[in-house]
Amino acid sequence: MDWFFANASFVAGLALTHLSIVIVPIVLGSILAIVGARLVRARWVPGVTAVLSAVYAIPSLALFVALPALIGTPFVGPTNVVIALTVYAVASMFFSARDAFSQVPSSTKTTATALGMSRFQLFVHVELPMAIPGLISGLRVVSATTVSMAAIGAVVGVRNLGYLFLDGFQRRIPEEIVTGLVAVFVIAIAFDGGLWLLGRALTPWRARGGERV
Amino acid sequence: MFSISDLAAWFADPVNWDGRYGLWFLLLEHVAITLAALLIATIVALPLGLAIGHTGRGEFLVIGLGSISRAVPTMGLLFALVLLWGVQLRDVSLLVALAAIAIPPLLAGTFAGVTTIPWGIRDSAKAQGMTGFQRVRYVEFPLATSSMIGGMRIAFIQVVSTVVLAPLVGLGGLGFGIVQGLALRNYSQVVASSLVIIVITIVGSQLLGWLQRRTDDRL
Repeated sequence: MDWFFANASFVAGLALTHLSIVIVPIVLGSILAIVGARLVRARWVPGVTAVLSAVYAIPSLALFVALPALIGTPFVGPTNVVIALTVYAVASMFFSARDAFSQVPSSTKTTATALGMSRFQLFVHVELPMAIPGLISGLRVVSATTVSMAAIGAVVGVRNLGYLFLDGFQRRIPEEIVTGLVAVFVIAIAFDGGLWLLGRALTPWRARGGERV
Repeated sequence: MFSISDLAAWFADPVNWDGRYGLWFLLLEHVAITLAALLIATIVALPLGLAIGHTGRGEFLVIGLGSISRAVPTMGLLFALVLLWGVQLRDVSLLVALAAIAIPPLLAGTFAGVTTIPWGIRDSAKAQGMTGFQRVRYVEFPLATSSMIGGMRIAFIQVVSTVVLAPLVGLGGLGFGIVQGLALRNYSQVVASSLVIIVITIVGSQLLGWLQRRTDDRL
C-alpha cells in the first residue's frame, strides 16, 4: 500500500489514459456490432460469423503490431491499440447482439408491423428495448475484456495501467504490479456495475416485477 | 521504415527460420507451451466441471470464476507470479498463469455441457439403475463433449495470446520476434512474427470449432 500512496497521482494519470483508450472501442465497437447484427442480411451471416470468430482468436499483441503493416498506421502509439480493441469489441458483441435480437418474439414484431410501424420504428421502439437484457450482458463481457486487454498496449508504448506491469517487473516492485492488477480490476468492475445499472434503468418494466419480456 | 518487400525478404532468409530463435523452434515452443498449459487446466477443470454439473452444487464457482477472470489482465498475472516465485522458476510461473487463465472457460464449458443435457435423458439413466459414476462416465461426459470443446476453444485463444507475452519475462515462443523486433526497430521481424502467430491461432481455433461441430450431433 505504501507504494500506491507514494505514487497515487502517477497511477491516477495512467488510469485516466487507460480510460481514454478503452472508451472508444467499447462505445464505437458496440454500436457498430449492434447495428451490424441487425443490418447484415441472413445470407451473409455465415461469412461474417466465420470472419469475426477468426478475428476474435488473434492474440492482441500480434494484432497491435500487424495493423501498421496492414493499414499503414505508425508502429508505436495508441492508434493501433484503439483500432484493434474496437475490432475485438465488434467481434465479441456481434454474436451477443444477434442472440439478443433473435430472442425478440416474432409475434411481437409482426404485431408492431401490423400496427403500421416502419422498419426503423420497429428497430428503435420494439426490437432494441426488448433486446436490452441480452445486449447489456454482451456489453458487460465486452467492457471487462477491453479494459483488461488494453493493458497489453503498454508493450507497444501506450502509457496506460499496463505500464505498471512492465515497470514493476523490470524494477522488481511487486507492489507496482499488484497496484496495476487492482486498478484494472476496479475499472472493469466499475464498467460492469454501471452497465448493470443502465440495464435496470432502461428496462423499468422488469424491475417492477411486471411481465418479464 | 517497413515495406512488403522487406517482409518477403525476411521470410525468404533461412537465417530467420533456423536456430534457437528461428521461426521453427519458436513455433514448436509456442505450441508446446500452449498444449502443456491446456493439459494442466483440463486435468483440473474437467473433473471439477463434471462434478459441479452432476451434483448441481457449486454453480456460483463457475460463474464467479468466469466473470472475475475476464477482468484480470493476463500480463499482470504472469508478471506477478514470476516476481513472486523468482525468475528461476519463471517457466513454472508461466504454466501456472496460463493454466489459471484456461481453467474458467474449460470449467464453464464442461458445466454447461452437463447441465444442458435434457432432464429426461439424465433421469432415464438413473431409472435404468446406473450408479452415479456410470451416469457421469457413460451419459453426461459423452453428451457434454461438444460444449467442453467449445470451452477448450476459448481457453486455447486466451492461452495462445498470453504465450505471446512470455518473452517479456525472458521465455521463448513466437512473441520473441515481436518483443525483440520492437526493441531493435526491426519491423519486418515484428510483422512476420505476428503474421505467423495470427495464422497458427486462427488454424487452431478453427480446428477446435470444427471438432466442436463434429461432436455436436450426438443429441
